[in-house]
Amino acid sequence: MYYIMVYDVNVKRVNKMLKLLRKYLNWVQNSVFEGELSDSQLERLKHEIKDIIKSNEDSVIIYAMESKWLARDIIGLEKKEIGTII
Amino acid sequence: MEKPFYIFSNGRIRRKDNTVFFEYGDSNDESQEEKESKPANRRAVPVETIDSIYLFGEVDLNNKVINFLGQNHIPIHFFNYYGYYTGTFYPREYAVSGHILVKQVSHYVDPGLRFAIAQEIIQSSNHNILKNLKYYERRYGDLSGFISHIENKNREMGSSRSIEELMGFEGQIHKRYFEAWNKILKSETFLFDKRTRMPPDNPINALISFGNSMVYATALSEIYKTQLNPAISYLHQPSTKRFSLSLDLAEIFKPLLVDRLIFSMINHNQIRENHFESNLEFCYLNEKGRRTFTEQFDEKLKTTVKHPSLKRNVSYRQLIKLECYKLVKHILGEEEFKGFRMWW
Repeated sequence: MYYIMVYDVNVKRVNKMLKLLRKYLNWVQNSVFEGELSDSQLERLKHEIKDIIKSNEDSVIIYAMESKWLARDIIGLEKKEIGTII
Repeated sequence: MEKPFYIFSNGRIRRKDNTVFFEYGDSNDESQEEKESKPANRRAVPVETIDSIYLFGEVDLNNKVINFLGQNHIPIHFFNYYGYYTGTFYPREYAVSGHILVKQVSHYVDPGLRFAIAQEIIQSSNHNILKNLKYYERRYGDLSGFISHIENKNREMGSSRSIEELMGFEGQIHKRYFEAWNKILKSETFLFDKRTRMPPDNPINALISFGNSMVYATALSEIYKTQLNPAISYLHQPSTKRFSLSLDLAEIFKPLLVDRLIFSMINHNQIRENHFESNLEFCYLNEKGRRTFTEQFDEKLKTTVKHPSLKRNVSYRQLIKLECYKLVKHILGEEEFKGFRMWW
């Protein structure tokens, strides 16, 4: 499955979230990541997120989609390339 | 989901925050000073998504990143300036099985058992070669002579008793097969006279050599995920050259992965004369050519087909891994090895 994750966490924990998500997904914008994960990777990631956040202060949203998004329009800057040929 | 990463840019791979960072300059021809004064472009590559790394560019690595990639079971395939396969950083085996190793060796030591596997590999490869020819026979015609000739050779091969004989037939079949290429390729600039290696002397040979080394490295990445030992092979002589089990597997998949790609890329004019660097004695793909080929190759590996017995879609890359599992089952005596034969 392809996932888009967005997070809104206390500034004390943003760095931790950033570093964690970088291990699993591609950074697209501040507090937005996307990429393909297997079921087990997603479960592991969820666990690691739960270890970092405080559930009464922070929020992480995970959007799941069948395959990759149908289209993606970028208005303004394209921040990062996410292909596998570098 | 793990995928292979292909690095053509020049730069440095670093471990940072427990993931992999690739830093690269904007242009290749900047002077050293300019490079150092400019902040490098950085790209965080999620470590969890890396299956293996193919290095084509001029890349620096330190032991920190090698240790890290090793811990994460990520092999790194190195290619030299000319796109030749140099070798692989093959991390510590993590799926070891003494039992399978013993079985794997015993199937090598017994000439009969070894021959059975070798023959199955060659026959699968021949089947896939014929599939290619038949596909183009339907499209362009004019190949039936080659097809019947190879089919005859194939039958004759059934009577061979040794691996040397098998290799002899394989050589004859390939010679015929390569002759057919001139009928398939619709381009005046790309003509195929004979197969030359080390160094390849014309664009077609350069493409075959490069493509084969890509299949070889890919097969090795897949073997790494299984309990098989990559150095013990059946068709190719083990102990000579590299991890020879991946040569065995590559033999089966080359027609599907490399040859088909070459036909379609040339006929669709995706690969052109300016993708090559050539001299009197040699011909190599240049960086642009390698990039173009690799992009298409990667797409090819992602192509899926419906597997008749698994009843789900599997990618071409997964087919290679399935081949390893079939081999494991065979040496454990659970199920006889039937090599991959294109069924579509």
